[in-house]
Amino acid sequence: MSTAMNFGSKSFQPRPPDKGSFPLDHFGECKSFKEKFMKCLRDNRFENALCRSESKDYLECRMERQLMAQEPLEKLGFGDLMDGKPGAETTS
Amino acid sequence: MGGLWRPVLRTAAGCGWCWSHPGSPTWVAERVQPYLRVGRNGTGSDETGLRWIGTWRRPNPARDLALQPPRRPKSTNPFTRAQEEDWRRRNKTVLTYVAAAAVGMLGASYAAVPLYRLYCQTTGLGGSAVAGHVSDQIENMVPVKDRIIKVTFNADVHASLQWNFRPQQTEIYVVPGETALAFYKAKNPTDKPVIGISTYNVVPFEAGQYFNKIQCFCFEEQRLNPQEEVDMPVFFYIDPEFAEDPRMVNVDLITLSYTFFEAKEGQKLPLPGYN
Repeated sequence: MSTAMNFGSKSFQPRPPDKGSFPLDHFGECKSFKEKFMKCLRDNRFENALCRSESKDYLECRMERQLMAQEPLEKLGFGDLMDGKPGAETTS
Repeated sequence: MGGLWRPVLRTAAGCGWCWSHPGSPTWVAERVQPYLRVGRNGTGSDETGLRWIGTWRRPNPARDLALQPPRRPKSTNPFTRAQEEDWRRRNKTVLTYVAAAAVGMLGASYAAVPLYRLYCQTTGLGGSAVAGHVSDQIENMVPVKDRIIKVTFNADVHASLQWNFRPQQTEIYVVPGETALAFYKAKNPTDKPVIGISTYNVVPFEAGQYFNKIQCFCFEEQRLNPQEEVDMPVFFYIDPEFAEDPRMVNVDLITLSYTFFEAKEGQKLPLPGYN
């Protein structure tokens, strides 16, 4: 919520997430994947680009345990990882 | 002697040689005399007659007319009178048009709200989501590798909510067009299950329109059992068009801030975008 009451200046509009809300992982089923991801981040100085496969694993874990809607990983931006090619994907 | 005594008022002025014209003092008396009535009772009739004469008032000829015209033209000149009537008619027409325009404007301002919403939905302007584009966009977007943005995380809790809510990483470096995952952790230290609901904020505000969340934990009730601790992920990306916006040239730091509130039973919160 925006608290700046400036008339005319653009204020922040919260938007709902595109795919809704994550169900809570009450039983910690994907906790190990999360720990791997956090460790990767800490080792790589919090650069996201280097830990994308760990985040992919975490999301796959969630999809298997019905904690996330099943979706092809390309649609989640992991297209380059699916082909087995590291680095940037080619432009279309 | 009794009986009526009718005074002869015709020559009351006493000067027969004065002719009547509007200027003379006797003119009014000459006009008035038919309207004066003398009292018909016996005693004191002459006094009432005299009293009448002393207390007469200047008559108003218009008052005695049965029908009064609604408006008298200001000019008595017959040539300009027609012009005045014409002006009056034109003024009335213009006034009608102006009043109709005012009412039309008022109606248009009321109609504008649903019309604008319709327009935004069809064209996708103004930030309202257009369904169906998002997943294709994520699939096809290309990371802009030379623009590294630091995203820091902030967690807040409303005073009445007793959760321990904090981010699990202080910052993360992303580039526009790349999806990223971040974690928050929440613990319920109380002995009762608590339901919370959260909202988020992105600073700077202009960058907030490029910050797209694919999935998170906001705007829905999240229930935590007593002494339970959960990980809450946020899956997001920054729109590649961020790199092309001239206003975002100096933006290198984006802060994502979540705030949790306690959700009460039966409380219906207004959710953004869900009209």
